[in-house]
Amino acid sequence: MLAIKIIGCVLVIASSTAMGFFFSNEMKCRVDHLKELKKLIVLLRGDIRYANTPLPEAISSIARKSPDIFKTFFQSTSQRLQELSGQTFAEIWKDAVNKELTETSLTKKDKQHLAGFGENLGYLDKDMQINTLDLYITQLEDEITETSKTVKEKAYLYNSLGIMAGIFISIVMF
Amino acid sequence: MNAKDELLKIFSLNLRTVFGKLSIDYEQLQEIRLRINAPLLIIYENREYFVTDEAKLVDNPSLAAFITKNEIRETMEYISNYSLYAFEEEIKQGFITINGGHRIGIAGKTILEQDSVKWIKHISFINIRLAHQVKGCAAPVLPYLINNNAGGIYHTLIISPPRCGKTTILRDLIRMLSNGSKYQAGMSVGVVDERSEIAACYMGIPQNEVGIRTDVLDCCPKAKGMMMLIRSMSPQIIAVDEIGSAEDLEAIDYVIGCGCKLIATVHGSSIEDIQSKPVLGELVKKQLFERYVVMSNRKGVGHLEKIYDASGKLLYCTDG
Repeated sequence: MLAIKIIGCVLVIASSTAMGFFFSNEMKCRVDHLKELKKLIVLLRGDIRYANTPLPEAISSIARKSPDIFKTFFQSTSQRLQELSGQTFAEIWKDAVNKELTETSLTKKDKQHLAGFGENLGYLDKDMQINTLDLYITQLEDEITETSKTVKEKAYLYNSLGIMAGIFISIVMF
Repeated sequence: MNAKDELLKIFSLNLRTVFGKLSIDYEQLQEIRLRINAPLLIIYENREYFVTDEAKLVDNPSLAAFITKNEIRETMEYISNYSLYAFEEEIKQGFITINGGHRIGIAGKTILEQDSVKWIKHISFINIRLAHQVKGCAAPVLPYLINNNAGGIYHTLIISPPRCGKTTILRDLIRMLSNGSKYQAGMSVGVVDERSEIAACYMGIPQNEVGIRTDVLDCCPKAKGMMMLIRSMSPQIIAVDEIGSAEDLEAIDYVIGCGCKLIATVHGSSIEDIQSKPVLGELVKKQLFERYVVMSNRKGVGHLEKIYDASGKLLYCTDG
């Protein structure tokens, strides 16, 4: 009986610790993904500012430079844009944000911002376009600094909370 | 994919269905006009028609499909490939050339910067002019332009009112002179295509057939372009559309001085009409041009009226 109890406790502690690690890891990944996304948007801005490249092409060239996690997102967006299937840019972009970014650690809020940013692409003159891109990049930067500041403490907190919660549950149930 | 499907892709979904159902000969379709809160209008076989939601051609505007703000916006998005900013230079001029060589004229609220148009906001009026090449339409003109003594061609001015096919005839002349014909060997032709109408370049590639020995300088101001081409591509013939400014005149002098032959077009109805214009009148007086081709739409678009030589002697006349 005791053996079973001990095994149970070990399992509880192990899983709650794993959960703690998962959440802290997820937070670190989010920062990495936000940084990656920022880099790609900066590339997009360069393409628009200096080469006047139309969006379908610019997005496809970004897809080529993207890490795997963002590749399908940009690839499928560019493909659908080139089809001229009768959907507006904002619709295609939003659709891709919802469907193709499930693997990333971006939060719901991040995705909302990204989708909102898509609503202002394409239908503006160049200056306004660049301003929209700048604005979104600043937004991403703010998010990155804010999250990075707390990520260390929070990761530590999640890790220890995971372990402590496991121990707490085990003691209560023992 | 055929040309019609290619063209349909620029329209909003709603209009795509309408035009998809429309049973007309697309070769005869000249213009499609979209105006905000106004009926859908097309120019077909030189006549104006309204188009209903069921894709019928009618004369009564109240039966026609109405164009909404969203339709215009959507259409503009597809025309510009979701990237209006990429067409900034074109929008300043008020038109965009799309795949297939069709020209999209736009109007709306202009944004000015230092007295020149910087952008058109709230685009509310779209005019789609379909590009049709009429191969062989310049065949009757060509023999009159050949200079047998010098083994080249004469400096030529094509005079025609708007929408009578002067660009079409110029394009065909370029194609024939460049490819060579039974009258002359192929010659290298430099085209300054200020408004992307002649070669209708889309991303630098001519969408119209302009011949195998033709170089195109797309979207370049005529006067600058003529000089650039002479220096860079050493053409035997320079072709330009719609000359008329004082700057053009200087460039023309330069072209002729360089030994290049010039083919140009100009808006006008007759040789007298051109003589009365301040800048061009001088050219006529100086007898710079050796051939004048006058066109009209008296018997349909592209009707050749008269051909004169430098001194105003009639060489050809349709009425005998």
